[in-house]
Amino acid sequence: MSSDAVKKRKPKVIRNEEGTPETKRGRAEGEQDVLVYHEEVELEGRDPQQDYLLYKDTCAALAKLMAEIQELKSSGAKVGSVEMEERRRQCSVHFITLKKLNRLAHMRLKKGRDQTHEAKQRVDVLHLQLQNLLYEVMHLQKEINKCLEFKSQHEEIELVSEEEFFQEAPAEISRPHVTRDDHHQLTLARLDWELEQRKRLAEQYKMSLARKEKIHKAIEQKREYLSSLQPGLQNIMQASLPVQECLSMPFEQMQKQAEVARHLPPPLYVLLVQAAAYGQACDKTLSASISGDVDEAKALSRPPEDSQDDESDSDAEEEQQNTKRRRATVGVQLDDKRKEMLRRHPLSLCVDLKCKDGSVLHLFFYYLMNLNILTVKTKVSTTTDLSGAVSAGELLNSESLLNCLYASDHGQETPNPTNRYQFDKVGITTFADYVSDLGHPYVWVQKLGGLQFSSDSELMGSALSASHMERTMKLLQGRLQARLALHKQFSSLEHSIIPVSGECQHLFPAKVVSGLTRWTMMSYQEFTELGFVQHVLKAGLLRETDLFFMAVVERGTARLLAAVVVNPRYPEVMPLFSLSLHWKGERSGRTEDNLRAMESEVNVFRAELQGPRPGFQLLTNQIQRLCVCLDVYLEMESQVCDGSEGPKEFPREKMCLRTARGPSRLKPFKYNHPQGFFSHR
Amino acid sequence: MGPVELLHMSVFSQSFSPCGRFLAAGNNYGEIAVFSLSAALSPDASQASQKPILNFTAHDGPVFSLLSTDTHLLSAGNGEISAWSWAELIKKSTKAAWTRKPSYETSLEIPEINAMIINPKDNSLIVGGGDNNIHIMDMETGIFKSVLKGHTDYIHCLCFKEREEEILSGGEDGAVRIWGHTEIPLSHFQTCSGMASQECARPQFGKWISCLATDSDWMLCGGGPSLSLWHLRSMSPTSVFPLPGCQREAVFYQDLIMSVGEGPHVSHCLHGGTVKAQIPCTPSSLNTLALNLKNTEHRVMTVGGSSHQIDVFTNFSYKAFSLSF
Repeated sequence: MSSDAVKKRKPKVIRNEEGTPETKRGRAEGEQDVLVYHEEVELEGRDPQQDYLLYKDTCAALAKLMAEIQELKSSGAKVGSVEMEERRRQCSVHFITLKKLNRLAHMRLKKGRDQTHEAKQRVDVLHLQLQNLLYEVMHLQKEINKCLEFKSQHEEIELVSEEEFFQEAPAEISRPHVTRDDHHQLTLARLDWELEQRKRLAEQYKMSLARKEKIHKAIEQKREYLSSLQPGLQNIMQASLPVQECLSMPFEQMQKQAEVARHLPPPLYVLLVQAAAYGQACDKTLSASISGDVDEAKALSRPPEDSQDDESDSDAEEEQQNTKRRRATVGVQLDDKRKEMLRRHPLSLCVDLKCKDGSVLHLFFYYLMNLNILTVKTKVSTTTDLSGAVSAGELLNSESLLNCLYASDHGQETPNPTNRYQFDKVGITTFADYVSDLGHPYVWVQKLGGLQFSSDSELMGSALSASHMERTMKLLQGRLQARLALHKQFSSLEHSIIPVSGECQHLFPAKVVSGLTRWTMMSYQEFTELGFVQHVLKAGLLRETDLFFMAVVERGTARLLAAVVVNPRYPEVMPLFSLSLHWKGERSGRTEDNLRAMESEVNVFRAELQGPRPGFQLLTNQIQRLCVCLDVYLEMESQVCDGSEGPKEFPREKMCLRTARGPSRLKPFKYNHPQGFFSHR
Repeated sequence: MGPVELLHMSVFSQSFSPCGRFLAAGNNYGEIAVFSLSAALSPDASQASQKPILNFTAHDGPVFSLLSTDTHLLSAGNGEISAWSWAELIKKSTKAAWTRKPSYETSLEIPEINAMIINPKDNSLIVGGGDNNIHIMDMETGIFKSVLKGHTDYIHCLCFKEREEEILSGGEDGAVRIWGHTEIPLSHFQTCSGMASQECARPQFGKWISCLATDSDWMLCGGGPSLSLWHLRSMSPTSVFPLPGCQREAVFYQDLIMSVGEGPHVSHCLHGGTVKAQIPCTPSSLNTLALNLKNTEHRVMTVGGSSHQIDVFTNFSYKAFSLSF
C-alpha cells in the first residue's frame, strides 16, 4: 500500500487536507526522502467516523451537483457553460475526495488485517509454548509416578520383624541410633542382617549334606553285610526242616503260609485266621490252606496309580490297534466287561473238615474282587465207595450239598445289594447262571469272612467271623454226616430193606408184615403234580430246594404210596409224608380220617422217632412206623365191615384193646413197648 | 404249634359262650381255643382277629366234647371232665374250676368221653364215652349218681328229649337206646341188623350211629347208615337223606336239617328227604357244627373238622371267613 501511495504520488495533487500534523510528520521523515508522502501516517490521524460522514456529505454534494447539472442541461444550458464547468469541476473534486476516501478505507482494512495477523502469530507462539510445557509436565508426572511405584526387590525378601531384628542383630548392623529414626537406614540394616543370616545357614546346610552322605555310605555298607548273611540263613532253615518234622512243629510251613497270607484279600484273610484259630482251639480235624497264584496276587496289590497308568496306556494302545484292524463287537465287549466284573482273586482258601468215619468235606473259598463277596465250592471224599444208590444221586451233589445250611440260605443270589447296580451295567440279570462256575455265595460264607451286608447285627470283620465260626463248622460237619448216613440208608432202602438200628428197635413190634417195595427219587415238577400232596403245597411246606422221594409199601393187594419231602436241613427238619392207599379204591389222607391219622403218626412225633442223637435214624424210623401203621390199618379194617365179603384178607394179629375210638373212629396206631399192644393217642 | 402240627390238627368240638360273643373249640391235641366272635365279625376285623384270644392245653387227650352252661364251659378229655368259668376264660385265666372223673371199671386204657348233655330240670350232666356206659353227674354236688348200662360198644352221641326227660344214645354197636328215669332203657332199636331191609342201612360203611338229634317227636340219626329222620312213636324212618358220606353231627334248624360229616360240605336238607344244598367249606371232612342262637347280633353257624381252620357262616348259605387255631 505504501508503494502504491508512492506510485500514486501526483505532483499535481497536493492535498492540503485537514491533517496538517501528518504533513509535518511526513516532512520530518521526508528529510531522508522529502518527496515521499506517507498516507498511512495520515491515516492514523483520521477518524473513521468522520471519514464516513465526509463520504456521505460528498455523495450528497455530488448528487446535488449532478442534479443541478441535470437541471441546467434540461433547462437547455450549453454544455460548456461556466456554471456547468464550475459544477463539473466541483464534481471532479468530489470524485477525488471519494477516491481518497476509498483508498483510505482500503488502507485501514489492510492495516487492520496486518494487526490481526500479527496478534494471531503471537498467540500461536504462546499456545505452542503452552503445549510444550504441558507435555513436559505430563512426562515428568509419569516419571514421578514410575519412581513412586517402583518396587524394589528388597521388599520380596522376607525379613524378620523389627522387634526380633533389634533383639537379635548385633549392634554394628542394627545401629539403632540411626535406624530408629530413619526408615531407609532401618531397611538397609535389616537387609544386611538377613544377608548375614543366610550366609550362615548356607554354611550349615553344606555341612549337613556332607554328614548325610557319610551316613548313607555307612548304611550301604551295613546292608551289603546283611544281604551276605541271607544265603547262610537259608541253609540253616533248610537244614532245620527235618528237625521240625520230627518235632511236628511246622514253623516253616506256618511261616510260608503267613507269608502268602499277606497277599490274601481281607475277607479271605479273616476267614483263614478264624478257621485256623478255631481248628487249633476246638476241632483238631480242621485244616486250612491257601492255594492259587501268589505272583498274580502280588501283581494285584501293587500301587494302583502305576497299574492304572499301565492299564490306561495299554488300553489306549489296544484301542488304537483295534481301530486299525476291526472293532470288537458290542457283545464281545459286554462279555469282557462281565468277565472282568466276575473276576476271582487268584488266591483261594481250602478248608478241610474231617468226620469221625474218615470222610472229608473240602471247602474251597473264593473271593470275587469287584463284587466283594465270597463264594464256596465243595467236594466230598469218602473212605468207602459210595456208588450203588440211585436215589441218593442228589444227596452229595456238590451243587446242592450245602443248600439251606441255615434256613432259606439258598446261595443262588448275591447277598451284597450293591451288586445289583453293578450287574445292571453289564447286563447280568441273575447271578444264578454263574453260580456253578464261581461257587455259591451263601450268607454264612460272607459272615465267616467278616462281610456284613444286612443290618442285623453290629459286628463286623473278625468279631462277626468268630461269632459264626463254631456253629457253622458244626453245621457243616452235621450236614456231611447226615448226608452220608442218608446215602447209606438209601442204598439199603432201594433193596427194600429198612435199616432200623438196634437202639430204635423198641419203637416197633417184632413182626412187621408190610414191606417197602420201592424207593425212588422224584423231581420237584413230578412231585407237585401228585394229587395227594396239594395240601402240603398249600400250607407252604414245600420248596424247590427240597429233596423229593416216593416210597411204596405193599402188603397183599394193598398198596400205599408215600410221597416224602426231605428238607436239605435234615435231620433238623422232619421229612413230611403224604399218603395215598390203593386198596379197594383209592383213598388219601384228605378223604379218610384213618389215613390222616397215619400221616400224623409218622410226621408229628419227632421226639419218639428221632432215635439216638444226632438223629440220623429219623427217616428210616418214619418208614418203619409207616409199615407198622399200614399193618394195623389193614388188619383192623377187616373188623369193621361185616363179614359179607368172605374170608378176611388180613387176619388180625396185632393186640389192641379197642379197634375204634372217638368220633372219627380212629384205629390204634400207637405202639406200646414193652407190653407190645396198640392203643390210641 | 409248628406248621406240621397245624397241618395235622382236627377240631372235634365247639361251644358258644352264654352271652354268644365267644366261641370255644377243642382239638385233637387237647387244646381249647377261645375266639372272640364280636371281634371277628366287626367291620374292621383283620387277620389277627381270626386268631384265638386264648389258647391253652386243657387235657392230655383230644377234647371230643364241649358244653356250655350258663356260667361255665365243660370240656371232656381222656376220661375226665373239667369246668372252666367263662368269665375267667374271657379274662384269659386258664385255671379249671373243677375236674371230675367218672368211675371206670377197667384201668388199662382210659376211655374217652364222646358226648355230654345237660338235663336242665334236675341240673345233671349226662356223659357217654368209651366204656360203653352213660354216667350221670349231679352238677351241684359233683357226684356221679348213676350209670346207664346197655350198649355193647362205645357211645358216640347223646341227645335229650326235654318234654319227656328222656335220654337218647347212639353207639358204635349200631343201636339207639332211649332211657327214661330208670337205669333200664325204655326201648332200643337197631337201625340196621334186625331190620335188614331198612333203606337207611349201608353195610359197606358199617352200622355205627355217630349223630343223633331230636325235635319233640322226630329223631335224626346217622353214621354208618344214611342219615334218616325217624318218627319216634312209630319207631320207623320217614325219610332217608341221600348223603354220600357218614354224617357226624346233625341239627334241626327252623324247617331245615343241617348236617356235617365226611366230605367238605355242610348239607342242608328238607324234612321230606331232599338235599336242598351242599355248602362247600375248608376242612376236607367235618366233625362238628354249632349254631349261635343265643345272640341275635352274632347269629352264625360254625363248623370244624380235619383242619386247623373253623369256618364261620354268617349267612347260612355260604362261608364267610375262617377262624384258625
